[in-house]
Amino acid sequence: MAGRYADIHDELRSVAGDLLSKDRPAEAGVAWPLLTRTGWIGLEAPESLGGAGATFEEVAIVVAEMGRAAARTAYLGGAVLGVGTLIALRAGKSRDALLKDVVSGAVRTAVVLSAHHESAVVDVPFHIERSGGGLRVHGRSSFVPDAADAVRLLLLANDSGGTPVIVDVAAPAPGLSVTPQPVLDETRRLAAVTADAVPVDASSVWRFDGDPQARVRGLLDRACVALACDSLGLGEAMLAATVSYAGVRRQFGRPIGSFQAVKHACADMLVQVSVSRQLVRGAVEAVADGRPAATEAAMMAKSYVCGEAVGIVGKAMQLHGGIGYTWESGIHAYLKRAALNRSLFGSPAAHRKQLARRYFPRVDT
Amino acid sequence: MTSADSNEFRVGVRTWCKTHIPAGWRESQTGVGDDEFVRFQKAWFAELHRAGFAVPHWPREWGGGMSVAEQIVLYQELAAHDAPRLVLAFVGIHHAASTLLAAGTDEQRRRHLPAILDGEIWVQGFSEPEAGSDLAGLRTTARRDGDSYIVNGQKLWASGGRYADWCLLLARTDAKAPKRHGISYFLLDMTTPGVDVRPIRNAIGESHFCEIFLTDVVIPATGLVGQENGGWQVAQATLAAERGMTMLELAERLGNAGFGWLVQACSRPSRGARRPIDDARVQDQLVRFEIEIAGLRGLCRDLVENNDAGVAGAADASIVKLYYSELLQRMTDFGAEIGGLPTQTQLAKPMSSGWESGFWLLDFIGSWEWTIPGGTSEIQRTIIGERGLGLPREPSAV
Repeated sequence: MAGRYADIHDELRSVAGDLLSKDRPAEAGVAWPLLTRTGWIGLEAPESLGGAGATFEEVAIVVAEMGRAAARTAYLGGAVLGVGTLIALRAGKSRDALLKDVVSGAVRTAVVLSAHHESAVVDVPFHIERSGGGLRVHGRSSFVPDAADAVRLLLLANDSGGTPVIVDVAAPAPGLSVTPQPVLDETRRLAAVTADAVPVDASSVWRFDGDPQARVRGLLDRACVALACDSLGLGEAMLAATVSYAGVRRQFGRPIGSFQAVKHACADMLVQVSVSRQLVRGAVEAVADGRPAATEAAMMAKSYVCGEAVGIVGKAMQLHGGIGYTWESGIHAYLKRAALNRSLFGSPAAHRKQLARRYFPRVDT
Repeated sequence: MTSADSNEFRVGVRTWCKTHIPAGWRESQTGVGDDEFVRFQKAWFAELHRAGFAVPHWPREWGGGMSVAEQIVLYQELAAHDAPRLVLAFVGIHHAASTLLAAGTDEQRRRHLPAILDGEIWVQGFSEPEAGSDLAGLRTTARRDGDSYIVNGQKLWASGGRYADWCLLLARTDAKAPKRHGISYFLLDMTTPGVDVRPIRNAIGESHFCEIFLTDVVIPATGLVGQENGGWQVAQATLAAERGMTMLELAERLGNAGFGWLVQACSRPSRGARRPIDDARVQDQLVRFEIEIAGLRGLCRDLVENNDAGVAGAADASIVKLYYSELLQRMTDFGAEIGGLPTQTQLAKPMSSGWESGFWLLDFIGSWEWTIPGGTSEIQRTIIGERGLGLPREPSAV
């Protein structure tokens, strides 16, 4: 049940906030070994494999703090999705070994899903073919978070029977290419992953625990909610920065925050943030509990929160005036990250299009 | 309340709704006159009271005592079954009761709380022609004269004033004190000589707003609530306290019947066989509203629970009021656009219905009754900026 570890949430939030807000150049990022020592990588992993046995709720708190700091980390690809995928698989010797290594920091992994997520049918970017007695993986996906840093890639593929599985591929491998895709948001690292007849062992093909379709859907929900958490955190940070600036910046002999035009804009930002918090909370709990309605809640949170966050950061830049437009102020980094969050794993419009299908009576075909 | 208890309670309310909500009340209450509106409102209030649903938020000793969790379920079910709204009793069961419970004397409570359950109607006499958003600038005076106060002045926007038995009145008792420190809070019997009520026709053609003229009106000193000159604090405290559950009820209505009608309106063929909902832009807008309603409902539940626990933020009620008002306005605007010319032909909406009755153009025009009264949206933004975010006050503010 959601809320199992609620008593540690405030502490986790404050520890994460402190660690991530330490002065460091944004482009330096938070090193993986440091993240490993915090225990955040393995929050959801079982204790028997070195994890904390916690839930997605705690992961969501860390993600929101990373958004607040606009931190450059590989947490999304390596932990939220990496560990999230591994724990969705059937336990087994090789899966357990990798999970243990990921949690300890010995091995870095990334999950290769489809970042587009535009249709009702879950997009599985890779497929396995049987050729000459062996198995080969084909396919391509782009804008994959943190793939370039990973030495083990977890490819979402259809097996020869069309069932989604995870294929564990060590990088580099023959036929596998991982090409960094530089983006304006310098706080995230994305890459295109192409598999052209990459040979794999049958032992590297891992099956989902339970209904594979539902599990894959769950991974995409998790990606969407994580981005909503990130956008909530960065929106909250921008509101706080703007309120603080408006309280000290003086023009016409008074703090600009005493002018209604500025004050009311800040009030609107707080309303957007407050509504965002509600949607994020509902979606995080639904994903943590694995509720059937999680997909709906995730799509609602992703589309609203990631959409509004761009507006919030834009307003922050506007209210900071000329200084807000400088590189030095750093607001641009938040704007670019908010814009990336909005596009990654499905645009707000794409999610709303999916949600609108519920208004039509189901037609059996 | 465990989830099993909650479920049992929900089933009970649901059954009650199915057997007690008057069938076809929308049709029968469309375009009715004042007398029928008042009769219907009083009958519905009595029905709710018999079931223990009229004042669930009151303390048990006065006839309430429902837990917050149960109240949430109650309002969800009433909304889901499209029950009539309590309009006439609203000020009595919310504003008057919360004022009496927070600041009234035992005698005042004993006199009025049972009477409210018997159908006593209340009106709020706060605003004045020169005291709208700047409520503390009110000019109605109350002069102490022995065991009484003599009141002179004019009140405006007193909703339901024509039917009211009693009035919650703010009047100035000290003209020299700073404006918020010279106001007192009174209970005024509307049958007192010198009270003259005149209806004002509003933008949708209804006349529930009234002006109240007060000429040498005598209020016994026992009608004072709280300390003399302490009325502003009483009004502030009680206004904030009652906002949670009333907003939750409205949000549930918006999410159930209101949104349902909007989808229905979009699903009706407009010209030929084409339906608005077949347009991707219409679908997109509907989903946007649905998501926003989900957020609003969360905000309302939080407000109610945080009020109950005494941990609500200083601007939380303002955030909810502002967001609801503007969402209602946008939704009804969209409904009016979708409704097109036919919604122009809906000349009167069902009395006792919610703010989103499905008579979209009237609902849209009526939505300014949310963005203006009770602190305009502009005032709410100022409160949110100053009390919620701690931004500097206007230099001229007192």
